[in-house]
Amino acid sequence: MSNASLALPVALPLSSPHSLEALRMLDDPQEWVAFSRPCAQDATVWESNVVIEGMHCAACSLTLEDAIGRVPGVLGVQVGAASHRARVMWSSSGARPSDWMRAVQDCGYRAVPANDVFVNERRKLETRQALWRWLVAGLCMMQVMMYAYPAYVAHPGDLTGEMEQLLRWASWVLTLPVILFSCGPFFKNALRDIAHAHISMDLPVALGMAITFAVSTAGTFEPQGLFGREVYFDSLTMFVFFLLTGRWLELRLRDRTAGALEALMNRLPDSVERRDASGGFERVAVRRVVVGDVVRVHAGEAFLADGVVEQGDTMVDEALLTGESRPLSRGPGASVVAGSHNLSATVQVRVERTGDATRFAQIVALMESAAATKPEGAQIADRLAKPFLIAVLLAAAASCAWWWGRDPGHALMVAVAVLVVTCPCALSLATPAAMLAAAGSLARRGVLVRKLSALEALAAVDTVVFDKTGTLTRDAFSLGTVDTRPGLSASQALAMAAAMAQHSLHPVSRALSVAAQATEKVEGNGAGGGETLGHWWCDTAAEVAGQGISGLVVDQSSVPVVPAVAMRLGSASYCGVEPQRSTGLRVFLSDAQGWLATFELSEEIRSEAAKVVAALKGDGVTVHLLSGDDSDAVAQVAEQAGILHAKGACSPSDKLAFLKDLQKRGHTVAMVGDGLNDGPVLAGAHVAFAMGKAVPLTQAKADFVVMGDHLSSVVQAVRLARRTQGVVRQNLWWALLYNAACVPLAVVGMLPAWAAGLGMAASSLLVVLNALRLAREPAFGEN
Amino acid sequence: MEILYLLIPLSVVLVFFILGGLWWAIDRGQFEDIEAEGARILRDS
Repeated sequence: MSNASLALPVALPLSSPHSLEALRMLDDPQEWVAFSRPCAQDATVWESNVVIEGMHCAACSLTLEDAIGRVPGVLGVQVGAASHRARVMWSSSGARPSDWMRAVQDCGYRAVPANDVFVNERRKLETRQALWRWLVAGLCMMQVMMYAYPAYVAHPGDLTGEMEQLLRWASWVLTLPVILFSCGPFFKNALRDIAHAHISMDLPVALGMAITFAVSTAGTFEPQGLFGREVYFDSLTMFVFFLLTGRWLELRLRDRTAGALEALMNRLPDSVERRDASGGFERVAVRRVVVGDVVRVHAGEAFLADGVVEQGDTMVDEALLTGESRPLSRGPGASVVAGSHNLSATVQVRVERTGDATRFAQIVALMESAAATKPEGAQIADRLAKPFLIAVLLAAAASCAWWWGRDPGHALMVAVAVLVVTCPCALSLATPAAMLAAAGSLARRGVLVRKLSALEALAAVDTVVFDKTGTLTRDAFSLGTVDTRPGLSASQALAMAAAMAQHSLHPVSRALSVAAQATEKVEGNGAGGGETLGHWWCDTAAEVAGQGISGLVVDQSSVPVVPAVAMRLGSASYCGVEPQRSTGLRVFLSDAQGWLATFELSEEIRSEAAKVVAALKGDGVTVHLLSGDDSDAVAQVAEQAGILHAKGACSPSDKLAFLKDLQKRGHTVAMVGDGLNDGPVLAGAHVAFAMGKAVPLTQAKADFVVMGDHLSSVVQAVRLARRTQGVVRQNLWWALLYNAACVPLAVVGMLPAWAAGLGMAASSLLVVLNALRLAREPAFGEN
Repeated sequence: MEILYLLIPLSVVLVFFILGGLWWAIDRGQFEDIEAEGARILRDS
């Protein structure tokens, strides 16, 4: 885990195949242990686990099995159609991982090493065990019911004493595996509760099971004994089966969401080009890089360690770490931080800190400590359950003591009736059933619920804090107004600027290119709408990092050939233009005569942002905006989205402090974010939402992951959480009312065990049906 | 009705056999990938 979490969150773009060079990184035996292990019998045979991307049906898995199996050196392969995972046995003397990874790639799929294999293995065992316990309980319950049936329907005298005894023995034998094996977890939890002196739902359940079994056993083997001759094997097995069914469903849901998230941790080891002694560069795995090495980082790659630029000028994107969404320029001598991206040019960096010492690792540490001090949401069921459970235990003990003098067997069964009829089932199902139904409903809308208990905290949320970049806004800039020198049309100016901009990777340049292409399409469709845009071309473009581009621009379509004009595109000072005070980001175009045009760029705010903020306000939630960007940009976005409280220029620890302050004033806060710099706040908030494109580490700390990238899911989740809370209350009220009616009956011994069991089942069913109403949720905007 | 003295113990034994079969199926992971096996019979190799 430590390795996985400290590896940098550089997600490879999906669908593009890995380069051969990247796959070669896996041939380093140091990397093998992350996703493989040697066989017990033969250390040269390794068993590797990989996740296959791009699989969609069962036939895919067979195609892959064939392809991998044909690679020389591969001894065996198994591809799971449902799990999208492959297990490959290969001999380290005959093959290398890159060989069979390439075979996967040649079939049109992508393989990534399954770094979560050991977590996954454990979960698989757990799931198998739970399934096994549940099936044992189910099968034995059915058979015990068969043996119990004659005793219920027989007229007096129909059933001989010997036959009845035989049926009882058979029931006892089949109840034995249920009590010893299927009920194991209940007894284990109950013992742990006693050891730690606290109380949970499992304690009365386990107590009820143990007493029922003891009384029934005594009734079977010693009918004339202290506890009388009644047996309750059928009630017992049915009760256990119902409980295990609930647990099994809960486990399945948990596995499905957890599995989807942990898969995000799977990727190729990051590699970097390191300068060797001869001055050349070779590609090595990141964990081989040490302080003092010089590494070459290309445009588009991420910096994998903190360091100082030795050679080259570039722009870097530190949005992930600081939240500053505008590119920053870095020249020789400037420091770069791990986790940021190199945008425009290749640079050589001398490594100063690696691993735990990097800024990236410090943010991770801040995140861990924030998570440790996370405030617990008010868990209404827990608060209610504890005194209630204590009362139940006391009532059971008291009624048992009251009846003991007359008939110890009857006394114990009265106690069991109290324990069972109090329906720890209904009470314990009241919350999880509603939460599960809500989580399922949210999952269908693209929101993964990582922690069920977070739904309860979410219902109480009165403040939502949004991050700006990537959450309220899209990652790209959009073009606003264009001012031009008289005689020049806006679209012409844009065409000129775009000709220059296509030589640069800067986000602003990309925005200009995209805007130019869009206008070209519109003008083209307009069937010669007046003027011609010309076919502009820029020669000898040169980019000054952080300043702008200069070059010779010429209209190639112009019939009398005109000489090229030297132009500059960039900041006010670079273009020699009077700087103006403005809130937005501005880019200027100038030629030898001076100013030509001004392009105003703004961050593209998500179309649904304003609607979402309005909806949240309508629900009585205060909305805040918190960002690492400079305050002007933040204020602008806040105004567009209709957010009253906005704060810019926040570092990750500022954000955390702001959050703690809100919490101290008694607010229940939900945080919506995506970047690594939001990690600590997400970890510290009562409820955390991570957007689907968020870095894996941030998602790992979130309670909810919004997969579809739709901001409106946040509103839906809040509303559904409130409805869930309503249903939970109804369920708890029902459970309490039912108990208030039945407990006195059970205490005075008016309620036989079978009626108690029936009451328990009916009451549980009602609770579950009520919870299922949550699965039908009106869509956003309907109410 | 004397036959019941034999049949009831037999049914208990039968249940244990069925449980054994279930354990065998679960332990070999037969419930973990239900789709691929159905497709496998359609292939020649």
